[in-house]
Amino acid sequence: MKVLIVEDDSEAAASLASGLAERGHEFSVCATGPDGLAAALAGGFDVLVLDRMLPGLDGLAIVKTLRNRGVTTPALFLTNISGIDDRVDGLEAGGDDYLVKPFAFVELMARLNVLARRPRAGGEPTELVVADLEMNLIRRTVKRGNTLIDLQPREFQLLECLMRAEGRVLTRTMLLEQVWSFHFDPHTNIVETHISRLRSKVDRGQPMQLIQTLRGAGYSLRAPV
Amino acid sequence: MPRFRLVRTGSFRLAVAYLGLFTLSALILGAVIFVAVRREAMGDIDERIREETFSLTREFAEHGRDRLAAIIGDRNAGAGAFAYGLTDPSGVRLAGDLNLQEAIGAPLTSGWASFSEPDRDELGERARDIIRALATRLSDGSTLIVGDEWDSGDRAGRQVLAAFAWALAGTLAFGVAGGFMLSLHALRRIDAISAAARAIVAGDWRRRLPLGRADDELADLARTFNGLFDRIEQLLLANKHAGEAIAHDLRKPLAGALRRLDSLDRARADEREGIVAAAKADIHGVLDTFNALLRISQIEAGARRASFRPVSIAAVARDVVEAFAPAAEDERKVITSVFDDDFDLVGDRELLTQMLANCIDNALRHTPPGTQIRIEGRRRDGGGALSVADDGPGVPAAERERIFQRFHRLDTARGTPGTGLGLSLVAAVAELHGLNIRAFDNRPGLRIEFTMSKSYS
Repeated sequence: MKVLIVEDDSEAAASLASGLAERGHEFSVCATGPDGLAAALAGGFDVLVLDRMLPGLDGLAIVKTLRNRGVTTPALFLTNISGIDDRVDGLEAGGDDYLVKPFAFVELMARLNVLARRPRAGGEPTELVVADLEMNLIRRTVKRGNTLIDLQPREFQLLECLMRAEGRVLTRTMLLEQVWSFHFDPHTNIVETHISRLRSKVDRGQPMQLIQTLRGAGYSLRAPV
Repeated sequence: MPRFRLVRTGSFRLAVAYLGLFTLSALILGAVIFVAVRREAMGDIDERIREETFSLTREFAEHGRDRLAAIIGDRNAGAGAFAYGLTDPSGVRLAGDLNLQEAIGAPLTSGWASFSEPDRDELGERARDIIRALATRLSDGSTLIVGDEWDSGDRAGRQVLAAFAWALAGTLAFGVAGGFMLSLHALRRIDAISAAARAIVAGDWRRRLPLGRADDELADLARTFNGLFDRIEQLLLANKHAGEAIAHDLRKPLAGALRRLDSLDRARADEREGIVAAAKADIHGVLDTFNALLRISQIEAGARRASFRPVSIAAVARDVVEAFAPAAEDERKVITSVFDDDFDLVGDRELLTQMLANCIDNALRHTPPGTQIRIEGRRRDGGGALSVADDGPGVPAAERERIFQRFHRLDTARGTPGTGLGLSLVAAVAELHGLNIRAFDNRPGLRIEFTMSKSYS
């Protein structure tokens, strides 16, 4: 994965860069808005990480310009304050995700992994398949092998998220946002309890456990290797 | 208290202004009465002169000029009130001592005249008497003049004036004295209020402005200010409390993180990962607290009001209940919700979601298994009420209003995780939406109720 980091805080940029390097990803770092825009326009990146506040040109303006010029590279905003307006502004400008500082690096990585492999426009699948688990998005049915699985609407949504991100980690926060539209952290174990229910319906009695819990990171759905 | 301050007081100025106004109107009234009395008295004099003239002309008509001159001579010598003059057509004096020619410097043959006659009195006491005189041309061309002192009319007017002057002087004296007294009274109360305010400024936050015995506008003002001071004191206390609570709440995880990181050097390689994870969790707890504080301040700042839209509370509640239901079920608790149709509110869906979620979070966290949690939305006349109630152990009455304060935690909740900010955020969101929030005894349990006075649809 090749990541463009546009961040004026050199310490934060260095920490991001070293984290990416450790995991074997390529990256470029720009410290100002205009430099970042030029690099993003030049292309070749799988995903952009932009600070909202940048000298010269802020993150919002960069993404707006990119989208106007037809550049669709997914962009993740880093914001300092957890304001809904920030998030809404970012998404309206053409951003794809946002993360509030300070954040755990695993959270950023999980989001970048999902963004970088997000299917581009067109070709929305009607069926998702992971190993012997099949989901029909039109009829909204789920089958494990030949057995139909009866899911509650939220459980279906949760499974859909996991299947679409097959193999990649989805953090608790990501699931709260995507499945429940909760942009805050409830203290109750909403995600955990739903995952446990889903697991009992999808994996119980199966020789192959598909729903994986990655301690300290999140959940993913994949066939164990 | 320097005396000249009295003169500067509003009450004194008001008293002086009233006094001035009163004096002016009294003067106008006095002048009008003076003129009226004078005119009345004058009218009397003129009437008497006219009658006298009439009787004399009749004498003249019946008995001739010599007889008239004789009568005049008689009356003039007597103690009669009138002065007379009789001149022949050429102006030669025939009888009486009233001589218009001398007095006004011009011959008067008929009509009224007023003039002052120098030194008519033998004693010389009254140097200038005003004389009112009527001249009548008789049929043989001679002129009869009858005059009277105008003094009697003038005297009545002067008496009226004197009475007025005395009354006015008394009023002025009383008014000034009253003004001083009033000002002194007002000044004393204001000084008392100032002294109390200065004491408050100096740090005596318990002190309140004196209301005084009279329930007047000054007492009203003092009461309003006392309300303001109550609020400020409350905020100060809350701030102080929050500051202490922040220090208390943050010291523990920070000290924990430090202790863990300190122990890292001595730890075995296989223990290190766990130590770092625990230290991270401590620091995350601190960040959570700060984020929650920031979010509450943002909500309180009210910027989000700009993005308010109609929100179906019933739909929000349904989503929240559905999200929490499995977790509740795992703890053998039940969440139910009952909503009237069209239970809408203009607001921020995300914040309202978090508001309800925090209430349920709170209810789940502080109740034992088997608890029933019930969310209700009811329309009422011109508004509505939303409540989140549980039948758990509840909150002691003394603490019920304080559960919405930042970092407030019941002693029984000290052991459970949580920032002590969940319900503060609930209160902030409620306030942003104009919802009145209160905690009640649910007998048993806690009921948090949100009421709106205005209905939105």
